[in-house]
Amino acid sequence: MNEVKGGRGAKHLRVRTPPLELVPQSGRGRGVKHNEKLMIIDVMKIKRILIANRGEIAVRIMKTAHLMKIETVAVKTAVEPKAMYLSSADVIYDNSDDASEIPVFLNIEKLIAIALETHANAIHPGYGFLAENAYFAQKCIDNKLIFIGPSPDAIYKMGNKTIARKIALASGIPMAMGSEGNIANEVEAATIAEKIGYPVIIKAASGGGGRGMRIVRKAEEMEKMFIIASKEAEKAFNDPSVFVEKYIENPKHIEFQILGDTKGNVIHLGERECSIQRKHQKLLEEAPSCALDEKLRKKMGDMAVQIAKAVDYHSAGTVEFLLDSEKNFYFMEMNTRIQVEHPVTEIVTGLDLIEQQIRIANGEELKYKQSDIKLKGWAIECRINAEDVQAGFAPDPGKIESLNMPTDQYVRVDTGVQSGSSIVASYDSMIAKLIVKGKDRKDAIKNCKMALDKVWIKGTKTTLPFFRLLVRHQKFQDGTFTTSFIEKDLEKYYFNSEYEEMLAAWLATKLFIEENLNDDSINVNFEHGKVMSPWLLNKRINQF
Amino acid sequence: MANDKLQIKKLYALSSENRKFSFSLPLKHTIRIGKREYDVKLKADEKYGTYILWKNRKYPVEIVRSSQNKYEILFNDISYIFTVETPFSLKRKKVLNSNRGKIEKEIIKAPMPGKIIDVLVREGATVLRGEPLVILEAMKMQNEIISPVNGTIEKVTAKPNTNVMKDDLLIEIKL
Repeated sequence: MNEVKGGRGAKHLRVRTPPLELVPQSGRGRGVKHNEKLMIIDVMKIKRILIANRGEIAVRIMKTAHLMKIETVAVKTAVEPKAMYLSSADVIYDNSDDASEIPVFLNIEKLIAIALETHANAIHPGYGFLAENAYFAQKCIDNKLIFIGPSPDAIYKMGNKTIARKIALASGIPMAMGSEGNIANEVEAATIAEKIGYPVIIKAASGGGGRGMRIVRKAEEMEKMFIIASKEAEKAFNDPSVFVEKYIENPKHIEFQILGDTKGNVIHLGERECSIQRKHQKLLEEAPSCALDEKLRKKMGDMAVQIAKAVDYHSAGTVEFLLDSEKNFYFMEMNTRIQVEHPVTEIVTGLDLIEQQIRIANGEELKYKQSDIKLKGWAIECRINAEDVQAGFAPDPGKIESLNMPTDQYVRVDTGVQSGSSIVASYDSMIAKLIVKGKDRKDAIKNCKMALDKVWIKGTKTTLPFFRLLVRHQKFQDGTFTTSFIEKDLEKYYFNSEYEEMLAAWLATKLFIEENLNDDSINVNFEHGKVMSPWLLNKRINQF
Repeated sequence: MANDKLQIKKLYALSSENRKFSFSLPLKHTIRIGKREYDVKLKADEKYGTYILWKNRKYPVEIVRSSQNKYEILFNDISYIFTVETPFSLKRKKVLNSNRGKIEKEIIKAPMPGKIIDVLVREGATVLRGEPLVILEAMKMQNEIISPVNGTIEKVTAKPNTNVMKDDLLIEIKL
């Protein structure tokens, strides 16, 4: 085991590479065929990647890096000193004594310094944090570090929604009517809204991920919503500017995965259906979408490629559209990073998107033409978050006391959490992504239903009961759901089968007897498993 | 007194939504559905922790909180709150409930841990049901905390740019 030489060598800890578990499908898998003879063996310049991220995406990137024989550096923080992603890394940089007020994953100077000190020659930003920060990408280039993502110019143009709108408009991409550029105040917003008609949506110019967005249904709400959206935008993106767009009622959220190389080739890998959202936060995604036929897929896919080409896009990216009930589609935004929901595309295309990102960053030419991409089967991803579905999806951070995920053939699990890990309030609430495949949509839903009952998570409340409800819902099964599904079509957000409440009542009664009536019959004879008193169920019983 | 306890023939588990489940004593480890009795088993093992076995299926189960006769049980990822009553305590509770006057105050607590971004009301202000009171940021999202009632703001404890824990007092509204 080599210690990494550096200014503060003692900070680095070299760890053994763990055995690989889930093997992402490589490009040589099913679904994609290419001529082996035409393959050019490229020299891999990327030797060691600093993962400027945490959680499941850090684990995910490291899995592919290991397969490609590329070393990885992970950053240890004081918030999560025992996090699972650290055990996947070749080198751990201990930053837990960092006294800076900026969290390390948002600290550009610090991350560059760590990369240089640990002799990484590339940085993968993952998603969130600095993934769509043009300045960070530029800083990497300035320090001769390979940024595994698009060019700073493409990040900047697509990151600024008003510029992105102008580019899309110039490329002839259909868009919802809206303001020409940013708007100064609620009065201007109201004027535009009068012109295009309510409802309208206020969006953050530098936005993404649902923050800084508010729907305004009538003029009276404009002032309040404008202030909320603008404040939220400033807080989240350091930029209070917002613009106004016609709000498309009950659309589907359809996004296209694209891949571009540095030689100007751009292809799309089909769509993802992400209409199951709450407050613009996606909860379940699938690929492909049952709302698209081959003709519409080609039309929308071509548009996605066109807009990517307009900014000379390279790396993986996502073009988001809204699709209305008449199958009209409107450009929404482009995300210039790997997405949380990328696994569903990997399953139906057989491609490893992280591998593609690394190869593209290495300067390699895309090995696939559009005609090589064939979608096969169906994939569904459930985001299992530490949230309380009985309290409107309020985050429920805490320690994951035990985590058991299904290991069936049709299941893939991407997670950065294991038994004993904590979901901390300073980061997002994701526990794991349950990704299920099937030969078609019906089959995938059937498998998903089975897999959901095999997930055991103890310690926090989770979104599992929501997904159990969803897979049983008629509107989900027939595919007619839209982005308003959760708000409009559901009376409650969770599923419990008949008798579950009664069984819980039985247990409460049993506890009461044990505690108050000193009844020995509690300790009944169990066949398997331990004989136990229900009172020992939880070591630390919290008081009301 | 031990003798008194022996006289209890039934226990009632009342859910927070006022559903009543009655169980006769001694408590059986079976539950009757229609004409059939089904076994209920409480078990624990290494892999799954504690679970209830019912009709050949395992359901994860945990006691989340308890005090006196009140229990919060997490059963298959859903929490249920019950108060367990004896026939006597149930009768007493009914009497108490009918004597209790109307609630005069609505206390708004933080539904989740997070940071107060903005407080939109002042003490003395009148609010209508559905009006936003506080903006609380938790785990990436800004959440509007909305008044569940019509009333007058009596007390504002929430301060912008401060962190709050779950169930911290934010605002009191006089009805």
